[in-house]
Formats: sequence, C-alpha cells, structure tokens
Amino acid sequence: MQSASSGILGQGSPEDVSPLRYTGVISGMQAQTITHSAEETIAFGRELAGEILPPLLVLLSGDLGAGKTTLIKGIAEGFGAAHAEDVTSPTFTLVHEYRGPKITLFHIDLYRIDTERELETLALDDLIAPNCILLVEWGEKFPQLLRDKNLQIDLQRVSDQERKIRLS
Amino acid sequence: MPDGTILGIETSCDETGAAVVRAGRDILSNVVASQIAAHQPFGGVVPELASREHLRAIVPVVRQALAEAGESYASVDAIAVTQGPGLAGALLVGISFAKALSFALDKPLIAVNHLEGHIHAVLLDHRQEMNFPVLALVVSGGHTHLYVAEVDANLWSYRNIGHTRDDAAGEAFDKVAKLLALGYPGGPIIDRLAPQGDPLAVKFQISQMKHPDRRNFGKAAEQNVQTGLHFDFSYSGIKTAVLRYVETQNMKASIDARRAALAGIAEPTIEDVLKVCDRQTLDLVASFQRTMVNDLAAKTLAAAQEYDVQTLIVSGGVAANQELRLTFTREANKCDLPVFFPSSMLSTDNAAMIAAAAYPKLLRHDFVAMNFSAEAGLALR
Repeated sequence: MQSASSGILGQGSPEDVSPLRYTGVISGMQAQTITHSAEETIAFGRELAGEILPPLLVLLSGDLGAGKTTLIKGIAEGFGAAHAEDVTSPTFTLVHEYRGPKITLFHIDLYRIDTERELETLALDDLIAPNCILLVEWGEKFPQLLRDKNLQIDLQRVSDQERKIRLS
Repeated sequence: MPDGTILGIETSCDETGAAVVRAGRDILSNVVASQIAAHQPFGGVVPELASREHLRAIVPVVRQALAEAGESYASVDAIAVTQGPGLAGALLVGISFAKALSFALDKPLIAVNHLEGHIHAVLLDHRQEMNFPVLALVVSGGHTHLYVAEVDANLWSYRNIGHTRDDAAGEAFDKVAKLLALGYPGGPIIDRLAPQGDPLAVKFQISQMKHPDRRNFGKAAEQNVQTGLHFDFSYSGIKTAVLRYVETQNMKASIDARRAALAGIAEPTIEDVLKVCDRQTLDLVASFQRTMVNDLAAKTLAAAQEYDVQTLIVSGGVAANQELRLTFTREANKCDLPVFFPSSMLSTDNAAMIAAAAYPKLLRHDFVAMNFSAEAGLALR
C-alpha cells in the first residue's frame, strides 16, 4: 500500500485532519422504544427529526436488516429532505445527500470501510456544516466517530416485525 | 464532425474506462482497467482507492484506447465523459481529464449520465432492432432502476417508473456472498455456484410494491403529477432472510471454516470455492439467486405490460448473470416481447457505452461548458 494520496478531493495528509466537532442538541426523546413495523420505525424517524438540530453526527448501529436505512427514511421525511421511497442503501455509493428546505442530510454507509485511513479519505469533516446532519451506518467500527458522535442509535431485531430502538 | 468519432471516458465507480466509438455504433476500441483486484481485500469499492487507481490508470487507458482504434487526440470529433451518478472523487478524475482534453484540443465536450450509458450499451449491438417505447432495467451493485425510454429527433427522454426502495440487486448478491464467505465480487461467484444447488430448496418471499406514483413533495411536484403505476423493488428483506437462515440452520461454523480456507489461497478460483461449499450452502445460493431473478423478471414484465412497451432492455452488471438472461428471455418470449442484453463486456461499467450515448448528443450539438461538474446523485430524465 502506498501512502495517502491527497489533492483530488482536496484532502490533506491524515495529520492535517482536525478532530470532528459538533455542537448539536437533542432533547425530549424517550431513551428506548419498540416499533412493531417498518412503518412505525419510519414514523419514529420522523418524530426524531423534530427533536434534533444540526450540526450533528449520528451513528446508527445494528446488524444487517436491523432497520438502519428504514429509520433514516423517516428522518429524511421529517426534515422534508426526501420521500421515504427515495432513501436507499448507500453501501455501494457510500454517501447519499438529501437536501431539505433548512437542513442537508448525509447518509453514509461504512460497511465497506475497514481502516482509519480509508475513513479519513472520505473527508467527513468536509461534509459537516452548520446546517448538516451526518447519519452514519457502521460508524461504531471507528473510535474517532464513537468519541465525536452527538447521538448513537442502536437498532435491534426483536422479531420479524419488531425492533428495539435505543438512543444514547 | 465527419463520421462522429467519440472518445468516451468512464470513471464513475471501480473501472477506469476509455473507448473510441464511431457514429454511436462501431466500437473501435474499449479499454477497461478493472480495480476489482485492488478492492478484493476490502470486499468492495473503497473510494480513496478508487480515486487513486483512476488517477494512475486514466492516461495509459486513454492512450491505449486511441492506439487500438488507430485514432489520435487530434482525429476524434468529441470527448464524452460520465457526469454521474457515482463516487464524487472518482467522477472528478474522468471529468477533469476530459475537460483538459477538450480545452487543449478545442473539441466539444459531452456529459453523459452513467445510467443512460448502460441503456446505450445495448444499442451498440441492437440499434436496428429497437422499437419504441423501450423499457430498460438497469441493474447493478448501486442501481436497480426501470426507465421507459423514447427518442425523438435524436433527443432521448427517460421516465423512471421504478427503483429499489432499499438495496440494489447487485448489493444483495454481494452482501449474501460476503455473509457466506464466498468472496468478492459476489455476483459472478453466486452465478457460477448456483447451478450446483437446488433452487427450490429454500423458500424466500420478496414484497410486492406496485403502486401509483405517490411522490407529492411540495406544490411543484403536485402540479407535475405523473400518471401510471410504479414498479418498485426491495432486496433488503431477502438479505436479512438469508442471514436468519444461516443463524437458524447453524451454518456459522461452516462459513467460518470456508473463510479460513479461502483466506489461505491468494486468488481463489471458482473450483476452490466450490470445494469448500457444502450442499446446504449451494442450495441456499441457488434458491437466493432464483428468487432474485424471478422477482426482477416478474416486476419488469409487469411494467412492460402496464406501459405497453415494444422492446425490453436489461443492462448493468447483474445483466451478465446467466440465470437472469435465461429467465428474462423465456418470460419475454411468452408475451412476444423482444428482449436485448449487452454483450458480457458491455454489461459491466465501460466507456464504449458512454461514447455511444454521447453520439445523439453530438448530432444535436448538446455540449457542456467548462464549468460543469460531477453530480454524485445525478438523476436520469
């Protein structure tokens, strides 16, 4: 492996990357809830959108099929950034951007990203702006993101339809 | 523009491609530097690797494409490049290079949508046989889209009448392959393994989502209501179902053993993979593929009837799947619908399809200014 490339995306060497900093505020949500269908998970996401303010780094954790993308469908709808049907998995495309009237959501999937250096080259720092919320799937793999997150959402499959959602 | 010879450049994802195509029909060269080998240890496309590999490959790939075509920078009539959708950093490599060529050579620059390219990949071989409207299924790792395509005086228009609500079909193939420790890229491996298993062994359900167009965000959208049903796909559920099956059937140990065995082989062949697959795994793979292919075919043919199209096109990386080709051919024949696929070389990402899609734009003088840029989420219309 060669050393980090720089320039094409305007990113510097890893040493130049400042720590991610976010100042968002969350209030008024129940710390734990159970949803009984994908529709309820989406509705929970819509409700959550009413409680969070940018800039914000949100990590979503849960196994394959736990409902991470489903919840983001609701959050995107809550901000008027996208219709639920149009929010799809960014596993291959890595970053999806949804622009609402006031807020821009970045839906990021780190399923295929395995090392810190690969993460740095995604330049998540560059995505954060005062009106931006980053929703990161599989972000718990990285200590830096765990440290800098403002909100973690754990999704757990209880049964075919039921999901336990925990905010911390 | 004597004969419409276009140099096409494609860097939207994991292939660096350059091609020279004459008159949207004759492929003079089609060079692809695949990065799959570079990505294999990571089980997927890694963006920084992708950008760096594109940077390394772009100049030699373009030179080789020109040399094989017997053309030169001076002799081509226009430069065409993929604008999106794709990885922003990867797209920028191709776009920057194409802009520089266009500027230095004083040749027109044409921006092409990657998805439009996949549709035109089929026209390279079958242009004379197309009757319109055409229904095109573009199915790959990042996309599962249905478009009704029409053309009027070389102006192509596309209407999206269906897409995946969650995972693309190729993503499901790759995630299932990774889940079962079969290797990367998952699609071709599953394609080769599936004939060895029983496709009826495991029953999977895929949700059906035929619905009126419900997108009604904002007043502008309300005034522009489109009629007609949408035929959406959903492949997140089957991925989860495979995971559940692995758990309930206690397959973890055999998967771990396979992962360990294949990790010891530098470049596992399909025979190597087959040796470490038991009957249960092969049956699961065959059943998964059968379910995926049948769902893609059923929804696409239902859409073909709804929109009364004259021709069916299936393109994108998953269109290389053998069972998919057989199933679509059989089902389309039942309704007397001609169906066309790109050749295997043109199924996956390549630049010949970009040069081909650019030809009607060249005829219309549909050029882009130097300030155009990559659009990672570019929609096809």
